[in-house]
Amino acid sequence: MTYDASAEREGRPGARPAADPTFWGRLTGWGPYHVLMRIATASPRRQFAILAAFPILWVLTQHLGPMLQMLRVSLTDAYPVAPGVEQSFTLENYARFFGDSIFWMPFFRTLTFAAVFTFCTLVITYPVAYFLARHVSRRNQMLFLLLLLIPFWVGEIVRTYAIMILLGNTGAVNMVLRFFGLIDRPIPFMYTSFSMGVGIVYLTALYMLLPLYSALEKLPKSMNEAAADLGAGAWTRFRRISLPMTIEGISSGCTLVFLISTGFYATPILLGGPSTTVFAETIAGFFHVAGDEWPTGAAFATIMFAAALVITAAFQRLMNALRKGDRT
Amino acid sequence: MSKLIYNRRRFLGTAAATGAALASPAYLRRAMAQGSGEVNIWTYNDFVPESFKEQFESETGIKVNVRLVDDQGKQFNLLAAEQPNPTVDIMTVAGHRFLQFIDSELLAPLDTDRLSNWGNINPTFSESDWATINGNKWGAPILSGMEVLSYNTDYVTEEEALTWDTLFSEKYSGQTAYIIQDMMSIVMLMMGYDGNMVAYMDDPEKAAQIVEEAKQFLIEHKPLVRKYYDGGAEFQQMMVNQDIVLGHSWNGPAAALINDGFPLGMTIPREGSYGFVYTYNIANNAPNVDNAYTFLDAILASPEIGASMTKASGFISTYKGADQYLTELEKKSTSFPEEQLANLQFFRAEANDMKYSLLDPAVEAIKAA
Repeated sequence: MTYDASAEREGRPGARPAADPTFWGRLTGWGPYHVLMRIATASPRRQFAILAAFPILWVLTQHLGPMLQMLRVSLTDAYPVAPGVEQSFTLENYARFFGDSIFWMPFFRTLTFAAVFTFCTLVITYPVAYFLARHVSRRNQMLFLLLLLIPFWVGEIVRTYAIMILLGNTGAVNMVLRFFGLIDRPIPFMYTSFSMGVGIVYLTALYMLLPLYSALEKLPKSMNEAAADLGAGAWTRFRRISLPMTIEGISSGCTLVFLISTGFYATPILLGGPSTTVFAETIAGFFHVAGDEWPTGAAFATIMFAAALVITAAFQRLMNALRKGDRT
Repeated sequence: MSKLIYNRRRFLGTAAATGAALASPAYLRRAMAQGSGEVNIWTYNDFVPESFKEQFESETGIKVNVRLVDDQGKQFNLLAAEQPNPTVDIMTVAGHRFLQFIDSELLAPLDTDRLSNWGNINPTFSESDWATINGNKWGAPILSGMEVLSYNTDYVTEEEALTWDTLFSEKYSGQTAYIIQDMMSIVMLMMGYDGNMVAYMDDPEKAAQIVEEAKQFLIEHKPLVRKYYDGGAEFQQMMVNQDIVLGHSWNGPAAALINDGFPLGMTIPREGSYGFVYTYNIANNAPNVDNAYTFLDAILASPEIGASMTKASGFISTYKGADQYLTELEKKSTSFPEEQLANLQFFRAEANDMKYSLLDPAVEAIKAA
């Protein structure tokens, strides 16, 4: 018997392929499987729903689920619930943040650091992305990108320790400065906002670089050439052509880096000092302390999450306005 | 030279651990008869000697799963979140934190009759007043530690290190580090108050005023400190990298550095300091209780095991006769002159609820300042 593909599509008898002894062969030759497949693929909409079901389920349970749980915990007065304790709902945990100014400093410090470090990352990575997209031959671009990706093959903690090796009192930077006789005593780079900034910029650079590279790569060379022919200098070409046309990349990169920066915990702990305490450390403090402090920690995490979203939304609106303004 | 010391130390450590393993086969054979399975332990780094673990596993067939912890509070929260069906059998609670765990029904009373080697623990630790609560023992003391002032002997003199004031002096500005929460108790002691706060249990206003004073002191001296840290490994790293030359630390991480040949000294300053005892405890509703008792009895079997724990962690062993298996350097790094020991008192738990309800916000305020 020969396999009749058109017969299978139409569901006519004799459509089944020749018996196959493997598991998949037996499965495809099994009647209920055929019925199930017919139901599942009856319409394009149903096919899409089935294909999307697992990813949606994943996002709901693994991403949205923990956030909703955090929100729920933030509205309770005790978690984990100790024996004999009755849990009830309260807004007290949120009131604690707004009622005690000692928590505001790390909160606003975090947002300020995140904004400053995002700007620094943009300023540092834009020229790299520009060079990569505009001056490296297409053949070598993947190689360069791969080289830039190498540090990301190892984890955040390992890369943070690499910064410590560089910036410590006996680290590489101080050793070189001493070798050339530029300093007598080591410069205390570590445990300052500088070392923390270096760490965060290093850790987030790729999240800025890739959207910028993507935007710059699409920029037609002819536009810059035409502008140059019309007498525009390098700065004018950058300001009037490259910058406005890569604003989407800037917007995406900044959003990613800002959101990631607000949540950094290990890097400020390892690289920061007594005056760089960020809000993530304050939040973690509530989870470390033995007792009913998890709800407060969850409430503070929710507040930071909401603040980061509001700032990001405002930033996106600004970027959209700039883009529209440029078009008119 | 330090490499030589390190290698010799490693060699002696391995030799002692091997000796310890060989010393306990009779016990382990008995344990094997109880069947196989696993035992899950939450403990600090180096508190379960690797060679003992391997020997125990091969002799009993019980797999030892160690999950490292670095903080009592985190351990409490983890266990509280898992109850009433915890994944842990044995955990490592500091003696002065017992009450909190017991009140929350997280620990099971220890049946010392099931531990034939209970008598190997120095009674100073096993029979102390803090060790018995509600008529029960709650843990097997394994290592003892204290809050000390550690200093790089190349830069700081022993005389300077005999007072906590040096930690807050302009001379060492930007070269010091401490754990804020622990330092709060010590600052209270420096000011002449009871850092355990037991004396103010009936006077919460006085307690609040003392914590406020200590908080203001640390805020005023914040510009002088290089780093607030959390764990012993961080302290060791800062010392080795010479980011700091002086700091408050636990004696264990400091002793480990001394044993590795680092030019470090430590003192119990004249204003006083606090000591604590780490104990192995059995979790309430532990899934492998029999294996947990088998493990506990095995690890208490001989002083060599206690010595190998001291060698690895730097904390002082609670086992009788453990010091005879230490080198001279190790003995030196885990002992203090009598006049300094006289300044030491143990942390107490009676006022913990009040103390930490005041201390935790104060710590946040210091960090935020």
